[in-house]
Amino acid sequence: MGKEEILAKVKEAFVSVLEHDNFQLADETTADDVDGWESVTHMMIISEVEKSFGIKFKLMDLMNMNNVGDLIRTIESEL
Amino acid sequence: MKFVKALQESIENHSDHNALCINRKFYTYHDFAIEISKIRNAIANTVEDAEKLIGLVTNDDLQTYASILALWLEGKAYVPVNPSTPIERNSKVFELTETRYVIDSSETSIYKDYKVIASGALDTTDINLKPKDVSGDQLAYILFTSGTTGLPKGVPITFDNVNALVNAIDAEPEFNLVPSDRCLQMFELTFDFSVVTYLFPFLSGSCIYTIPKGAIKYFYIFKLIKEQKLTVLTMVPSIINYLRPYFPEINAPDVRYCSFGGGALHSDIAKEWSECLPNCKIFNYYGPTEFTVYSGFYPYHKETHQKAHNGIIAIGTPQEDTLYLVVNEHNEEVPVNVTGELCLGGPQITPGYWKNEERNTQSFFVREENGKKQRYYKTGDLCFKDEEGDFLYVGRADFQVKIRGYRVELAEVEFHAKAKSERKVNMVALDITNALGNAELGLAIESEEFDTEEIFSYMKTKMPDYMIPGHVRFIKEFPHSINGKINRKGLRTYFDIN
Repeated sequence: MGKEEILAKVKEAFVSVLEHDNFQLADETTADDVDGWESVTHMMIISEVEKSFGIKFKLMDLMNMNNVGDLIRTIESEL
Repeated sequence: MKFVKALQESIENHSDHNALCINRKFYTYHDFAIEISKIRNAIANTVEDAEKLIGLVTNDDLQTYASILALWLEGKAYVPVNPSTPIERNSKVFELTETRYVIDSSETSIYKDYKVIASGALDTTDINLKPKDVSGDQLAYILFTSGTTGLPKGVPITFDNVNALVNAIDAEPEFNLVPSDRCLQMFELTFDFSVVTYLFPFLSGSCIYTIPKGAIKYFYIFKLIKEQKLTVLTMVPSIINYLRPYFPEINAPDVRYCSFGGGALHSDIAKEWSECLPNCKIFNYYGPTEFTVYSGFYPYHKETHQKAHNGIIAIGTPQEDTLYLVVNEHNEEVPVNVTGELCLGGPQITPGYWKNEERNTQSFFVREENGKKQRYYKTGDLCFKDEEGDFLYVGRADFQVKIRGYRVELAEVEFHAKAKSERKVNMVALDITNALGNAELGLAIESEEFDTEEIFSYMKTKMPDYMIPGHVRFIKEFPHSINGKINRKGLRTYFDIN
């Protein structure tokens, strides 16, 4: 799966949890840049991403995830 | 005041110990004492003696914690406001308390209409931690919770109230903090649970670890447990609900105590969580803001103490000097095993809601006991007492819900949702359980679909983020029950959020 494809699926997960698509996702995007992305919705997004890619993150990876780029890299390593 | 004096002694006796860890930076009790003295000096030099209720912007920094102690040493109360809550709501709070002075450590303060003490830029002074004499009925803090009429509801807590809380915890042999303890402080200072997570560690010379604003708190907590080897955790149950998928990766042998409060603790998850903490005592605390944080606890143990009702762990027994009373609608005590409303009496009870006679008449009553008048607070929680004297939680008696540990009146959410809407349509706020077992807010609108952006931007100026519904559904016609009431259970089925 290419990075573009991963990013598209990740965006779907964000839209489904946040119930809006008023944002852009790039490597350096953090919770501060997206309306509604905070502690609680982050957990829902993570669980949505796990479902849609059929993967399971490790707590150690999630602990050090600071932006969308980190998320994409972790997904790539799990695929 | 005994507990303020005890704080002074603890700060002086532990000066080379760490007091706070904020965003990976450690501050000793000596650093803390310097900061407290600076702020206290500024208060004494600028604020008139008669001015007792001082605003405090709750940033995550040394100055904000030092401000609380400085105010207490000066015999004054803090009125905390969260910097991420709309300024309009925070100004409302200050208007209600007639607060004119605000302590703000922010680089530039947005509280231009107030006299601001910029606690981040004060001159050094000599250390002075000697408390002023204060009468016990003076206020130590006022916290505001969600109110049904769109106005936040103030709960004032006196120095006597806090002192009684400290006495009760001191009397409990099962819970003793020591100077080497490393304690989680994950709460906003506008949330009353924070009082126990800073006060008890400071009284014991232990170190508190805060959560930076903007961090994903669930993972940050895990990071602190793992890297800083925390020994004492105080949390709302929703934290472990979110961490639950990762329990198999959590093993924290250093944790000695884990206290829960601010929401129902379910027995299945408590058991799984206790497997992650092999050397830990778990306390299920109960207590409303109106009764100074804690009123009692149940000592959970996965093998020996697992009493529960409908899967919710018991709230146990009242602590020292506290009375529990379960009553019917006439405020008369009901027998053992009969469900009624739980009422609390004793020295931790608030003097009453801030300037709200109507609510005070509804929520407090006096009962004659052994020739003495005993005042009780009606919690709105339905409970019963079993034969062994343990109290068990059944549910809420009204439309108040807990979102991430915060109390939310659904009526207040509805009030603000409807206020700016041009369409006069029915709107109902609901608590909806997500896949991880936590409550989220939904807004059901009886209408064809329309753009809700204006409604939401208005709500965001009026309420903190946890009160903003995360889900909206348009329903052409609301389901009704036989007696014509809106069927809230039926409405919930429209919110398939999982």
